[in-house]
Amino acid sequence: MVRTSLLFLLAALLCLPWADLQISTLDPWLELSRLGWGLLTPLPPSTPTLLDALANTLAFALQGVALGAVAGFWLALFYRWQWVRTLAAFIRSIHELFWALLFVQLVGLSSVAGVLAIAIPYAGTFAKIYGELFEEVDPAALEALPAGTSRLSAFFFTVLPPAWPHLLTYTRYRLECGIRSSAVLGFIGLPTVGFHLETALKQGMYSEAAALFYALVLVIVTLHLWMRRQLLPLYLLLALWWLPPAAQVNPTLVWQFFTVDIVPAPLRAGWDGAALWLWLQALWLKQIGPGLANTVVLGLIALVATSGVTLLTFPLVSRLFGNIFTRSTGHVFLVLMRSAPEYLLAFVGLLLWGPSMLPAIVALGLHNGAIIAHLVGHYSNELNLREDAVTGFNRYFYEVLPRVYRTFLAFTLYRFEILLRESAILGILGIPTLGFFIDSAFSEFRFDRALLLLLVTALLNMAVDMIARHLRRRLQLSTHPEDL
Amino acid sequence: MKSARKRVTACGRILLSFLLVTCSTFLSAQTFTFTAIPDQDETRLTERFGRVATYLSQQLGTEVRYIPVKSYPAAVAAFRNDQVQLAWFGGLTGVQARNLVPGSEAIAQGAEDTAFKTYFIAHSSTGLKAGDAFPAAIAGKSFTFGSKGSTSGRLMPEFFVREHFKKAPEQIFSRVGFSGDHSRTIALVQSGAYDVGVLNYTVWDEELKLGKIDTSKVSVIWTTPTYPDYQWSIRGDVDSKWGAGFKQKVQKALLEMKDPKLLEAFPRSAFVPAQNSDYAPIEDTAVSLGIMDEIM
Amino acid sequence: MNAAVLFDVQQASLGYQQRAILHGLNLRIHAGEKVALLGESGAGKTTLLRHLRTLRPDEVAWCPQHSGLVPMLSVFHNIYMGRLDRHSLLYNLANLLHPLQQPRQDIQRIAADVGLQEYLFTSVEKLSGGQQSRTNLARALYQQRAVFIGDEPVSAVDELQADQLMALICARHDTVVVALHDVELALRHCTRIVGLRAGVIELDQPAAGSSAATLCRLYAAT
Repeated sequence: MVRTSLLFLLAALLCLPWADLQISTLDPWLELSRLGWGLLTPLPPSTPTLLDALANTLAFALQGVALGAVAGFWLALFYRWQWVRTLAAFIRSIHELFWALLFVQLVGLSSVAGVLAIAIPYAGTFAKIYGELFEEVDPAALEALPAGTSRLSAFFFTVLPPAWPHLLTYTRYRLECGIRSSAVLGFIGLPTVGFHLETALKQGMYSEAAALFYALVLVIVTLHLWMRRQLLPLYLLLALWWLPPAAQVNPTLVWQFFTVDIVPAPLRAGWDGAALWLWLQALWLKQIGPGLANTVVLGLIALVATSGVTLLTFPLVSRLFGNIFTRSTGHVFLVLMRSAPEYLLAFVGLLLWGPSMLPAIVALGLHNGAIIAHLVGHYSNELNLREDAVTGFNRYFYEVLPRVYRTFLAFTLYRFEILLRESAILGILGIPTLGFFIDSAFSEFRFDRALLLLLVTALLNMAVDMIARHLRRRLQLSTHPEDL
Repeated sequence: MKSARKRVTACGRILLSFLLVTCSTFLSAQTFTFTAIPDQDETRLTERFGRVATYLSQQLGTEVRYIPVKSYPAAVAAFRNDQVQLAWFGGLTGVQARNLVPGSEAIAQGAEDTAFKTYFIAHSSTGLKAGDAFPAAIAGKSFTFGSKGSTSGRLMPEFFVREHFKKAPEQIFSRVGFSGDHSRTIALVQSGAYDVGVLNYTVWDEELKLGKIDTSKVSVIWTTPTYPDYQWSIRGDVDSKWGAGFKQKVQKALLEMKDPKLLEAFPRSAFVPAQNSDYAPIEDTAVSLGIMDEIM
Repeated sequence: MNAAVLFDVQQASLGYQQRAILHGLNLRIHAGEKVALLGESGAGKTTLLRHLRTLRPDEVAWCPQHSGLVPMLSVFHNIYMGRLDRHSLLYNLANLLHPLQQPRQDIQRIAADVGLQEYLFTSVEKLSGGQQSRTNLARALYQQRAVFIGDEPVSAVDELQADQLMALICARHDTVVVALHDVELALRHCTRIVGLRAGVIELDQPAAGSSAATLCRLYAAT
């Protein structure tokens, strides 16, 4: 286990020479003081706007996550098939924003576009997590069944019941992620919190941005209070009432999308192998190659940064360390970090250190580290130490770290693919990752390029998924993969 | 009671406009809908453009609705999908949109848009000084565009940069970023995060007037030659839906919009006639930069 | 003997997890026999039983030692699982959500036979070890097959109960093959004793005429 960790550390170190980490900034303080002042003086745009945006955010999230969970559940039933795993890895490797941009082409700027943009990548994630939960169920009960029991009957009696509690915990956690995703969809124009947040950030109206951000944090922090299993059907009905499914499907355009738009440009007038080769070559040299390299370098370094943040901050929320005061502070810090869009963190980093990979690494590390720290801290609370256990650093290194390390590593491996995906939205830093080029392709309405780049991203993600799966098997990281 | 209802109405306004538009295909009478992506101040979009919708309703004698859209790709998708029939687009976005919707036309542009300009701005530490000639000394600095699909924040400045250096921006500058927005470009160059940036001149002038810019830290070092920018584009099939001559009526209503309250939403002093051919230079530039493929 | 041969194992080498445990094994079991497998743990009893089960999977009521119960499900559901193979998926799902009349009556009766009638809708995880063991046995009984194969089916209950349960097993099944650790129990209920030691059949004789003393050599130190 330690060897694997060191391997990742080494890989990240090897990437360092290619990572551009120079610090070049001069006067960040004017903008930062405005930002800080805004955070201290939140001022909602107007109550109806805020409530409206929050309701939309929740409605998109509830519908999207519910649909994704159902679809993911069905995929998970067949998770032992390689092609299902591949499909799941493929659909979750594409950022929600890109799914949204794709669906906007097909069904217009509609509620269906937003719901599907959440549901599809989430189905991929649910398939993976549910599938692995099912795989980890003790097979004794399955083996004891009478011969000839149908697979599905066996599944519902022996596999689903033991996995059920973990499944629920995980699904609830994903709802929290769904709320964040739904907010982020506002960046392209869906009427969620992100819609106003992005405007406020762009225009430098930090008080307004702070109010929106705090409202979002409040919803997420209180999730466990109002999200009750019994109330879920009611919430879903409310979500459907508030945001009825509507789509504007234009068959001609859909047909054109599949028969013209996504066909590589040199082939639209007929088959031309030489032109296609040139097209592919140019794309490879200018976008795919550099994009892949940057994505992997950034992903690996950000992974190590994430691990560092996790190991440093999980004691903040663990009952084994500190007192009620430090834990409350720790909780607040972690909630803020994991609710803040990476875009915002990257922007602060950009102001502080100038454009380079550094703000990206810090932003991804803080955001994802805060998420894993929350989970590891949670996990450590279930440990029972002897009454005379040592305290302080000795406790950390001798009693706690060895016990949580396996869990920590499993969580971190899961997070790797998310890091690769999130790097897409950091174009403001001038780091041409694969996501950067996908974004460019969309803004140039070149869906053929977008599709090819999405395929490459998906391949990368599938490779990462396979490596993580292999490592997980080898290290037997069969912790409960809930809460990822 | 009445005020409560009013609030609920306001509350659901964005949502409703959003949904009614999507449902509209299934209704026989389609509502004439437009969108606008302003080059600055995206706040209270619904409120500001709601007034424009009211004005157009009165002039056209039919219901007109505004829907807010944030990103260029989403706006073009809505135009292509017939969710909006009229749109206030940037130069490049308009060309791209009209390219995707055969028969669509540019019918009006802002008085300022006939001769639009981009400012090159630099942080004081670079030592770059304002001048009439292209600032060749920007080579090697870090550089930020605005949004990827912006005419004044990306297309035209990239054109002038390439024309001077005969190289791609990535080969000239130590780093090339996309701030995503004109105001953001000012903030980033002012803080020194980027050495040099390019943006829409109206945004700079406006923020300077509002005192948001510290001129001891950031200043304009070059102004590009002029080019056409923002325009109103309309779908070609509106006449068949709202009656012959509808397109002319829309054009007339836009050109006759004199109320400063309405015009400040864009913000423009007046609208003047425009046609597709006015934007040929933009299209040629986009093709030459590889942002668009050549039209077959 | 003129009864039909049910299991016929000739010169078999059986293993578990790629390790050979039984070598050159010869064993023939006829319908109607009540066979007790004796031997120290590790002698290969479980391996042999598993193998026998695979020979006639559709005729065997199977009662494994590591019970394979689903802890969060009720006694009813765990017993019902004995017949999952005989119903459609829909019927099974309906029973999972809400027990239907017919299986409810049948299972109630069987639960009463093993003394679990009061716990029919209690989660198995809340039961004691002995109660869990009886649930496991009840599932095998519910299968209502002619052949019962059990691996220490009564090991977790007290002596008196073990006696009653063994009687129940023998009464409900035509043929019984069980691994037991209680020699007296084996002699009382079974017709044939097969003794295993270090992977080979050490003894194979009728129960009648055997004594506890003679069987003790199975457990003697070498």
